[in-house]
Amino acid sequence: MRGFARRLLARRFWALALKELRQIRRDRRLTVSLIVPPVLQVLLFGFALDSEVRNLRLGVVDESRTAESRELISVLTQNATFQLVGAYATPAALGEALATARLDVGVVIPYHFARMRMRGQPATVQVLLNAANANTAQISQGYVEGAVAWLNRDLAGARAAPVELRAAFIYNPGLVNAWFIVTGVFGTLIILNGSLVSAATMIREKERGTVEQLLMTPASALEVVLAKLVPLFLLLMTMVALVLTVARLVFDVPFRGNPLLLLAACGGCVLTGIGLGTFISTVARSANQTQLISFFVNPPLALLSGGLTPIEAMPKWVQPLTLLNPIAHFAKIARSVLVKGAGLDVVYPDLLALLALAALLVGVSAWRFRRQLS
Amino acid sequence: MRRILAQARKELTQIRRDRLALALTLVLPLALVALMGTSVSLTVTDIPIVIQDLDQTPLSRQYADAFRGSLMFRVVTLPPAMAPEAMLATGRVRAAVIIPEHFAREIRRGRPAEAQVLVDATDGNTARLTRGGAGQVTQAFARQVAPERARPPIQTATRLWFNPGRESSKFYGPGFMVLALSIFPPVLAALAMSREGEQQTILQVYVSSISAHEYLLGKILAGMVTGLTQCLLSVGLMFTLFGLRFAGDPMPLVAGSVLFVFCAVAFGTLVGAAIPNQAAAVQAVALGGFLLSFLLSGLIFPIENIPDALRWVSSLVHARYYIVIVRDAFLQGGGWPAVWWAELAIGAIGVGYYTLAWRAMRRMQVKA
Repeated sequence: MRGFARRLLARRFWALALKELRQIRRDRRLTVSLIVPPVLQVLLFGFALDSEVRNLRLGVVDESRTAESRELISVLTQNATFQLVGAYATPAALGEALATARLDVGVVIPYHFARMRMRGQPATVQVLLNAANANTAQISQGYVEGAVAWLNRDLAGARAAPVELRAAFIYNPGLVNAWFIVTGVFGTLIILNGSLVSAATMIREKERGTVEQLLMTPASALEVVLAKLVPLFLLLMTMVALVLTVARLVFDVPFRGNPLLLLAACGGCVLTGIGLGTFISTVARSANQTQLISFFVNPPLALLSGGLTPIEAMPKWVQPLTLLNPIAHFAKIARSVLVKGAGLDVVYPDLLALLALAALLVGVSAWRFRRQLS
Repeated sequence: MRRILAQARKELTQIRRDRLALALTLVLPLALVALMGTSVSLTVTDIPIVIQDLDQTPLSRQYADAFRGSLMFRVVTLPPAMAPEAMLATGRVRAAVIIPEHFAREIRRGRPAEAQVLVDATDGNTARLTRGGAGQVTQAFARQVAPERARPPIQTATRLWFNPGRESSKFYGPGFMVLALSIFPPVLAALAMSREGEQQTILQVYVSSISAHEYLLGKILAGMVTGLTQCLLSVGLMFTLFGLRFAGDPMPLVAGSVLFVFCAVAFGTLVGAAIPNQAAAVQAVALGGFLLSFLLSGLIFPIENIPDALRWVSSLVHARYYIVIVRDAFLQGGGWPAVWWAELAIGAIGVGYYTLAWRAMRRMQVKA
């Protein structure tokens, strides 16, 4: 062990590491691709992805035309969820507008609406929802029912419902969507950009045939591999710091937990990215092949991570697969530590899994890279 | 015309010989659409919740059973000596329902009883769904225990149109079909074009009698053949795996697909002509195509939620319009009156890309 450490710190290793650093620094495209895409992506994702349901276009057919029916309409359009865009004469015209996507929700208030209510009989209002988007439909159905229930409570006066459920949102009471998206996308950014950059630096030696020159140096294969990994790791950790700064300053993501814990997870994530990139570069023959191969790897990795959509919403047979996805573990850690303020006692299974995946990927790819060297 | 066809044939032969490219055009897109379309969904079922019953009466247990009976929730038992908040903190449950003491007594006395639900709002969307679902369970329970008091003066009868089962895959399947079509055909086109620049075979084109328009159209035609094949296979997937049928007139989809594939391939050709380096060109198309069509086309989250400063960009993204056409064809069936504007927009963007590609090509010639 001691001998290994001494060898690690030998001048030969530093010379090689310095060579890598200089090469990376001189490659302007690589430096740019370490800074610009991650920052741009985290901004784009954070701003553009918002699952909140609001400004749904509402159309009404008011056959009743009474103060009561107008009251119902005004209750529905009170908050930002629905936006009244038109009144239609017949339900058929309303249906037509729904089918041509000019409306999201339609409400039909029957002719007898006011009279039924005066007689104390229940009046039924028809709600037509464009359910093509299942999520929007489910949430807007909840809103319509909530608005009607609110009106009912008002009308019933003292006759309050026998059981009420009061909801309290914890950890993110404002339901800020960016907190979910930014913490979810973070791991994807680290791994995808990390693998891209490391694949690019690894494949360069192969394409230019400078691998032989490395072989001629007195350095051992292990030293060559390590000297390649260490500068990349440092550079990618700088990128991590940059993205974290954006998350904090632009999106106001809370940093409730231990920052060291998060950094450890980031380190594991960066190593996984490097391992993945190196692995791809050992399979590919040229730079553009590494790009094409990453098409097979990246989209499933990014989308089946629970970063953007909840894992629980995936089919049962897909859910166990996410255990093999480093991004899924990282997203869980990032959310627990940043938003919930969780400690090591909560996140250790995910942290261990992430580090194990990192060790596996780096090990396999370093082994393959060494085999190429000799 | 003959020269265009000859150019297209040459391109197709090149694609056929490249096994990786062939996998990229036909196998990968379909696998991606099948996997993503079925897996990506925002609507969680089986949300794990925990119930803390401080009342311990038959009525409170009946209320807890209402949650157990609901398809939306899965009730996890609360370990002894563990607070529901701790379960939330470890992430083992998404919500905790707390039934207070004297719950049953209040109900029997005719006073409103109040239960509480603590919802982990890290994921805002799931939190909203949880609140809605828990509210519905409570209303149903209220109707059960006190039918005379729970009958509201106004009732709603909700009809879910176009996707009555609220199946997410019927919405995301067509969406990912569009995503795959806006990535892979342009990547191939960019590869084919930048290869000519990288290997300098473009010089052979300059000395031949083919004109710039004929050359470009030949390349785009070849790209369209592979793109439309992919499109056809994807539609087949929609019919089989996703159980979708044409909801109305399929003609807008046919016209839209031809226009869209033209537009996508022209975009790829433009990038390939502008960047004569295969790796860089592919990266540019992947970043541009994937990010823009993933984020700004309304694939997963509604476009209306994008802040104004960014939203105008989405009106330049061709996938945004095609997604409207595909979803209309499979779900709403509104036909031409619903989508004519989207077809026009794709056509206009396509012509724009073609013109830019042609100009980029002329610049390449000047440099060479």
